[in-house]
Amino acid sequence: MKKKTLAIRPYVWLLPSVILMVSMILIPIISVFKISFSEVGRSGHIRGLNGIENYLDIFKDRVFWHTLQNTFVWTIVVVGVSTVIGFILAMVLNQRFHGRKFVRAVVIFPWATALVIQSVIWKYIINADYGSLNVFLRKIGLIDGFINWTKTAGSMFGWECWIGIFVTFPFVTFCVLSGLQSIDTALYESSAIDGASFWQRLFKITLPLVSPSLTVSTVLNIIYVFNSFPIVWTISKGAPADQTHTLVTYLYQLSFTDGKGGHAAAVSVIGFVILALCASIYMIISLRREES
Amino acid sequence: MKKKILSMLLATVMVAALAVGCGNKETGGSNEGGGASNEDAGGAGNEDEGGSQAGATVDLDIIISQYGNYTQDWWKEFEQTFEEANKDINLNIEIVSWNDIYSVVNTRISSNAQPDILNISGFADYVLDDLLMPAEEYVSDALKSNFIPSFWESNEMDGTVWALPILASCRSLFCNMDLLNEAGIENPPTTWDEVLAACQAVKDKFGSDIVPWGLDISTDEGQAAFSYYTWNFGGGFVDDNGDWALNSEANVKAVEYIKTLIDSGYCNSAPFTDTRYPLQDAFSAGSLAMMIGPMNMVAADSEVNYVAAELPGEKTALGVCDQLMVFKDEEADAARTEAITKFFDAFYECETYSDYMVYEGFLPATLDASDNLAANAEKYTVGGSDATGSSEYFATFCAVLPNCNFYPMQKPEWMDVRNGVIDVEQNVCQGTMGAQEALDQLQESVTK
Amino acid sequence: MILKRKPWQTILLYVFVVILCIVVLYPYFVMCITALKDNKEMYAIDHIMPNTWRLSNFADIWSAAPIFKYLLNSIIIAGGATLLAILCGIPAAYALARMKFKGKGIFMGAVIVSQMFSPVVLLVGIYRMMVSINLNNTILGLILLNAAFNQAFAIWLLRGTFMGISPEMEQAARIDGCGTVKALVKILLPMAAPGIITTLIFVFINAWNEYTIALTLISTDAFKPITVGINVFYGFNFIQWQYLFATSLFAIIPVVILFLMIEKHLVAGLTSGGVKG
Repeated sequence: MKKKTLAIRPYVWLLPSVILMVSMILIPIISVFKISFSEVGRSGHIRGLNGIENYLDIFKDRVFWHTLQNTFVWTIVVVGVSTVIGFILAMVLNQRFHGRKFVRAVVIFPWATALVIQSVIWKYIINADYGSLNVFLRKIGLIDGFINWTKTAGSMFGWECWIGIFVTFPFVTFCVLSGLQSIDTALYESSAIDGASFWQRLFKITLPLVSPSLTVSTVLNIIYVFNSFPIVWTISKGAPADQTHTLVTYLYQLSFTDGKGGHAAAVSVIGFVILALCASIYMIISLRREES
Repeated sequence: MKKKILSMLLATVMVAALAVGCGNKETGGSNEGGGASNEDAGGAGNEDEGGSQAGATVDLDIIISQYGNYTQDWWKEFEQTFEEANKDINLNIEIVSWNDIYSVVNTRISSNAQPDILNISGFADYVLDDLLMPAEEYVSDALKSNFIPSFWESNEMDGTVWALPILASCRSLFCNMDLLNEAGIENPPTTWDEVLAACQAVKDKFGSDIVPWGLDISTDEGQAAFSYYTWNFGGGFVDDNGDWALNSEANVKAVEYIKTLIDSGYCNSAPFTDTRYPLQDAFSAGSLAMMIGPMNMVAADSEVNYVAAELPGEKTALGVCDQLMVFKDEEADAARTEAITKFFDAFYECETYSDYMVYEGFLPATLDASDNLAANAEKYTVGGSDATGSSEYFATFCAVLPNCNFYPMQKPEWMDVRNGVIDVEQNVCQGTMGAQEALDQLQESVTK
Repeated sequence: MILKRKPWQTILLYVFVVILCIVVLYPYFVMCITALKDNKEMYAIDHIMPNTWRLSNFADIWSAAPIFKYLLNSIIIAGGATLLAILCGIPAAYALARMKFKGKGIFMGAVIVSQMFSPVVLLVGIYRMMVSINLNNTILGLILLNAAFNQAFAIWLLRGTFMGISPEMEQAARIDGCGTVKALVKILLPMAAPGIITTLIFVFINAWNEYTIALTLISTDAFKPITVGINVFYGFNFIQWQYLFATSLFAIIPVVILFLMIEKHLVAGLTSGGVKG
């Protein structure tokens, strides 16, 4: 492995992958960058370059700043809560109990279902006038009248976060589970003999040993959740009054319903820059850790 | 190590920057190529290439909006019949749902891959970007004089007619009479105060089992709600001179009235996101007492005993008239013009066109079809909506249609206004802004 | 785990597990019963279970829309994308795991960066590019795109898997006269099978569930995958919830089965792949 390979050989091995990614990802990225500096007509027609005007317009837009704030809340809440739930669940699933196989199979469901299908079914469930959640709760006697689950922008966004968590936590569970299963049980046995409490075991043994899998799931989830589109789009399309957008739905609306393709491209680039910053921080941290 | 990371990131950025630099020309160039060759790309897909090179055949890319569940079937049949009659013309008809059609068309235009013929609502944006051909160039004199004059003229902008009216519909107040009677209301409400009273009666009688009033102020079609209420409070989008008058006193009252409906608990719970379609379904299923909707909205298998009444207040209904338009094509030749003309002639031919109107449940935009349907609507197949197979239905609504108001779509600011009024409705009903303040802001931003 | 639980802990565990199952399965329960209802019952609010069980809904969808065609398209798209992503990913991951070369860091960085752009963000760019190479509105176009957008993940997972396997066996094989390619195919790939399977499944599911690109790129009905195809039940005037959900179940089932089949490998693959990424 340490031997010097022929100079050109590694690049040949990389070539198929590079061709695929350059043609399908890099070229569109370039064209989005270019559009973000162009004036785009409402019909989608590109009229010509106009410098940083799109960016200035976006920065002046109140909705953009609110959306940015939403995006951070959305990413942090969904990833954070999913990680906690997923972690606890992994601990549970690592126990021996009757029906464990069944529960593991159940947890796979939200993960395996297409986001757009999930969103549609949840939209049907939480509908206040005929949705099955109200009917169900009234049937078992928990409520009298129907509850309007999405009365305010806040509650709407809350439900969107819930659906986000619902589809995200299984991934964490399985990542952590894989970490847990690689822990030598002898470690626990010896700590039990030493009389270590549950919390001591959790913080001294479990967490440090599963932290690599947690890191992987967290990083991937941040990217996926930040970029997640179908949930918010299906449930609210940003309504009411553009208060529940995240960056991705906002730019989709700018591009496809408001007919502001240039602004949409500018928002894409801004989102890209934010994620790139996060990624470089992550890389710096993880590389530093590798060193030490 | 740190240096390494930094240099790595820098290098990535530089590569990206370089790529953007050279990319400009490249992407520009390849796009033109794409635009030109698109005709085969879009065409059928499995047997492209060959067809267009054969010489004589003309390919027409056509995008049709999905009006119902079976729109696809009707057009498939039309395509077959048409291609059999015109061996040298190859139609490629795509049916796109209303949900997606603006995204699809937008993306195609920004990729220089616009269709030849498009069926959509609104044409001003395409005219502003100089993408359309004047529709008159593709219409024979006979067909031109066959269009209902007000519809034909409604597609005029700067003295040119840019699009053909494909079909029309108008909105009525739908009342479930069984529910209203049970709640002690004899007749459909005719004033806005009566609406409130009727809603209260239904609410008192049925509690949360029945929703009294269906309201859609979603981004999907919130501008329709704006038109129902403002017009019937005496306001509207524009004043008598045709200038924007969004913050008129009547409009403020109308928007506040919408808020009253919501705050009193008369409406469906999620007016910000409920589109018209689930409301219509709920009405057809009998769990919604009243709503304003298009005349063909009740499902064919519905058992609801309903009345389609005039709108309360000024009795001004919203008319909607969608269009067919022809896009420019740099390499267009006489053959293309001829093919498009043939397509329009075939589509608007009285029998075919009448059949389509009954099938989808809409009102015709041509004179001969109006007369024909008012007499023999029964002989055509219904595609999924209630009552549209009856001549009486067409006779009634075709007569109502001329009194309808239409959106000021030919004004270039229309799309901003459309999105703006939805924002106003949502903001006011959320309580984040007063009606006067919100409308003032919109008026200012539109007229500046 | 070997540790003994106290009785109350066991009870707590079961309570937790039962609540979890109810919450997770609830949407699927709703989906199933709605799929069995008559269209008129959709807005009925006094009962949960259907009054008339319309098993025929599951038969009706096949004639109401070309569902079979949609499912077939989904299989072709997801299968093709998976194959392509793996075929391109294995050599790249191998080079990254076993070879030293200039620009390795840049490449790894680029891979991570490429994963950050969601296809939605790039939609306009993607569409322009596809038009320019005549692949808009084709299944091949979707295969290429799905493969490309999953490439980063595939490389990342596979590289981790390869790095977790000691290179000694391959070196031994090479001393015996095997070429690099042969050693890779004969020795490394079988050993890396769990990681490869994990990658396969991941890419397959991502591609199967992809919605936005297909929505924009495909306009011909015959080329639509199932996620986009079910929109026909979300028509202009009427939403046919019962068909929508009946079809959704058909879209979910194959993926869940696939998942269940490889669940063990999945966990193992994540251990060997993800953790060391």
